[in-house]
Amino acid sequence: MSKLKLSGVSKAYGATLALRRGDLEVLAGEVHVLMGSNGSGKSTLCKIIAGSVRPDDGRILIDDTPVTITGPRSARAQGIGIFYQELSLAAHRTVEENVCLAALPAKAGLFVDRTALKERAARYIALFDGVSGDGFSADALVGNLRPDQRQLVEIMKALASEAPLIIFDEPTSALDRAQVERFFEILRDLKRRGRGIIFISHRMDEIKAIGDRVTIIRDGETITTLNLGETDAGTVIRLMVGGAGDMPASQSSVPAVVDAKDGAALTVRNLSGAGFRNVSFEVARGEILGFGGLHGQGQSALLRAIFGAGAVASGEILIGSERFDAASPRDAIRRGCAYVSGDRGRDGVISGRPIIENVTPIHYLRDRLMIARPSKLSDRVAPALESMHTKFASLFHPINSLSGGNQQKVIIARWLIDRPDVLLLDDPTKGIDLSAKADLFALIRQLAAEGLGIVLYSSEDAELLGNANRILVFNGGSVSRELIGADRTRYNLYQAAYEAA
Amino acid sequence: MSRITSFLRQPIVVALILIVLLLYLGELLSPGFASGAQILRLMIVASLLGIVAAGQNVVILGGREGIDLSVGGVVSLSAIIAGNVMNGADGGILPAIAACLLAGAFFGLLNGLGITLLRIPPLVMTLGMLGVLQGLLVVIRMGIPSGQAAPALSRFVTQPLVLGVPGIIWLWVAIGILMAFMLNRTVFGHRIYAIGSNEHAAYMAGVPVRLMRIALFMISGMFSAIAGLCLLGYSGSSFANVGEQYTLTSIIAVVFGGTSLAGGKGGYTGTMAGAFLLVILQGILTTVNIDESGRQMVFGATLLVLMMFYGRGRAMRA
Repeated sequence: MSKLKLSGVSKAYGATLALRRGDLEVLAGEVHVLMGSNGSGKSTLCKIIAGSVRPDDGRILIDDTPVTITGPRSARAQGIGIFYQELSLAAHRTVEENVCLAALPAKAGLFVDRTALKERAARYIALFDGVSGDGFSADALVGNLRPDQRQLVEIMKALASEAPLIIFDEPTSALDRAQVERFFEILRDLKRRGRGIIFISHRMDEIKAIGDRVTIIRDGETITTLNLGETDAGTVIRLMVGGAGDMPASQSSVPAVVDAKDGAALTVRNLSGAGFRNVSFEVARGEILGFGGLHGQGQSALLRAIFGAGAVASGEILIGSERFDAASPRDAIRRGCAYVSGDRGRDGVISGRPIIENVTPIHYLRDRLMIARPSKLSDRVAPALESMHTKFASLFHPINSLSGGNQQKVIIARWLIDRPDVLLLDDPTKGIDLSAKADLFALIRQLAAEGLGIVLYSSEDAELLGNANRILVFNGGSVSRELIGADRTRYNLYQAAYEAA
Repeated sequence: MSRITSFLRQPIVVALILIVLLLYLGELLSPGFASGAQILRLMIVASLLGIVAAGQNVVILGGREGIDLSVGGVVSLSAIIAGNVMNGADGGILPAIAACLLAGAFFGLLNGLGITLLRIPPLVMTLGMLGVLQGLLVVIRMGIPSGQAAPALSRFVTQPLVLGVPGIIWLWVAIGILMAFMLNRTVFGHRIYAIGSNEHAAYMAGVPVRLMRIALFMISGMFSAIAGLCLLGYSGSSFANVGEQYTLTSIIAVVFGGTSLAGGKGGYTGTMAGAFLLVILQGILTTVNIDESGRQMVFGATLLVLMMFYGRGRAMRA
């Protein structure tokens, strides 16, 4: 019998259809896997079930009865529990309090019943006995725990809801092997007891190990539901990618091999740090090296670390043939390294200040300027902006008066006055319009042609496939595969991203 | 039309209009209030406040809740140091200037180090420093005479120097020009605005954020020290906590002049107008016989009203 059934559910944010048509049926006693790439509508679907997003259209049935879920409390009341990917724990409270946070046992409806709370929390804490690691106890403060232990607490909290249907949104991302094994045993036990479970993970091996059926979402539509026992990873990935998956990368393609002008621009050897480990690669002068893979697999962390804005634990970095270990962005800039972040609001834009002051900081540093003469600076700033067709009325208008795409062009222009040797692009086109993207990539290719070594991380596969000479696919903080030449296809990119290394 | 209204909305224009109105009001209450000699006298007092506010201004522009509550303590300390070093002799002026600047820079450095290295919020750090300075003042004054201003210093502050205007007002004008140049035409000035607008973006663009912030607090300490020295010249001898009033008024002058407490927005020209405006207001309150505690209440209320009008510089980050 079906625990939960969604039919024709949709949700639009303004003009953007986040979910076009969501159909999903979860049976009692099954682990139902949801798969789809970034932005396919997977998390919107989960949020609708958990009550944090109200659908525009469609029907929801729980135990074959039509229901309306008005909010998270209503979802809980109707038997839906959720594990939040972005953990929702109270850092200054103990493990046991966090586990019982959603429904603290009370005496006389007012005072927390300490003994009952301890008893109840102990049941869930005991489930992970032996794998929860050093320092984990019922009265430990959550804020003092390791990331994997915090994730365990979040899992216990979801389990403690004892909801007939529980959604687990990437519950295993920080866990080690033994912890995952234990978690799966618990899930199997829940299955036997007739619970329904929705499971989201990007790790194909886990999906095969625990899932019964899989529903695939692409571009806001649920494509199909398959029995995992009767299918293979290739089929699933092909369905996620859609029809054009096997087409080679190149419409207006870039050459697969660059005639190496004079050696490597950037060399990274066995680099490890927070969020990435044991990464090695080389970027030739004139080459665009792509970083692919799912979000947050270490690509950004690695680029920031090279730029001196993140910690490096071991390994070495060379620019040209010289050892380069930047202590700070200031250090990196002086030695010819450039970094453009996609999060321009945080990392790039000096808000409220004139456009010209947003272009000049790098020039100040590299030319060791003390005095800022506007007329002289304008002569250097204007050509940099024009090379990207930036639209602006006056250099002295505040940068906030520009559109997002033009703001990003201003941020990139600051690197063009004194040319760097290496350009690191960290998802640079996030949230900018198509024409700005086109201008940007035209510039990037031109810079490569002029001999810069460029690293491009993009969350949009099309950008990688269309511009990178080579693509390194990241998985769990290290490179799981290198795609060269005709291998640079959408299918291969997905397969490498989803298949655990 | 909209040009006129947007012109009238500029803080500095508002301040200038208020200055004229208050002078007129003062003249009504007490004829002679707006006479040339009296205005010069007000400007001498305003220049003392204005010099302290210059330091407060750069600290606030630097953002991240930047504020310097220790300025009053540094002013008092500097007045005492100056008085004891020169002790009524003109020959002691240069050593006194050096000693005051050194002391101001030192306490500014301590503030800056606490805020950047120990990550203590500026409000807490400088308030603590104010407490330390006040305690230090008590200790220093035990049994030691507070010293005398050198005659040349008193002349510089109170007597006409060039074109009938006292030297301290010329000094203030010079500081105004220097500040405008620094903020608008130097890399250092642009970096102050950069860290005040978006500290992280500035860091990613190679601005030495910590060094900058330490420098700002040192500048503030040194401006307060100069003001303390001049204050000694103004009053002849120093007495306990002469600088106390400057903590609140320097912040009000900066806000009056249109500098956002959130940082990254504003300048010194407005602050100069704000300082003058406050001193006129102080004069009017004195004219109508409101005592020091009453004046402090009016100033406090003024700051709160200003905050209502200018807001705390709405969320700057887009």
